[in-house]
Amino acid sequence: MNNSISPPKSGQNTWLWLLKMVTGLLIVLVLSVHLIVNHYLPEGGLMRYEDVIAYFSNPLVVLMEIVFLVTVVPHALIGVRSIILDLNPSKGSTRLINWILALVGATAIIYGIWLALTVASLA
Amino acid sequence: MSERENKPNTSNWFMWFDVRHRDIGDWAFVLHRLTALGLVLYLGMHLIVLGTLTLGPDAFNSFIDLAHNPLFIFGELLVVAAALYHGLNGLRVGLTSFGVAIPYQKQLWYVVMAIAVIGSIIFAISMFTA
Repeated sequence: MNNSISPPKSGQNTWLWLLKMVTGLLIVLVLSVHLIVNHYLPEGGLMRYEDVIAYFSNPLVVLMEIVFLVTVVPHALIGVRSIILDLNPSKGSTRLINWILALVGATAIIYGIWLALTVASLA
Repeated sequence: MSERENKPNTSNWFMWFDVRHRDIGDWAFVLHRLTALGLVLYLGMHLIVLGTLTLGPDAFNSFIDLAHNPLFIFGELLVVAAALYHGLNGLRVGLTSFGVAIPYQKQLWYVVMAIAVIGSIIFAISMFTA
């Protein structure tokens, strides 16, 4: 089906789209676990600093949160990239945007993993 | 369907705000994008706020005290509503992108919207009566 209303976007990548799809599905699952374990499993939910520290003493929790991080960040940034691509940036601009998003993503993931491990060590 | 010829050419960003000649599928897409942007902002704030956990009990706990403010709780409700719509519609998009249930995509969207609205109302009630 040819949509001649707007010209096809350059920079679109099949693998990024597939990654967005796969991470999207995973997020639905992991987010459900994240919300249930955060709010319904502990008594009255995770309320204060002490609750969170105790919660992170479980290595399965740490693993789950890191998995969540690693699925959400790429999904979010690939999505942001899709929105930016709608503006038809030039090839050079696209490559710059790719680098910036990759940097932001790597930073967020490294920070998040550091944070999870640090909080876990406070238990 | 000559309607399609009138659709805005969205390669100009200001045409994103042209509300004419859009059908319900366009609005489903617009809402998907709007909720996406809201959730990205939330993600950034969430990751930063959680950083206060490394600054000792007082830093995080004073944020929690802030989180009891009704305005804040309303913000959280918006996040829940956005996540409900974006996730459910995302599942629908995932299905149709792989060729599943394409003739029913409009009905599926109504189901998505219904669950998102009802879920948001349930959350609103539970959040404001806690």
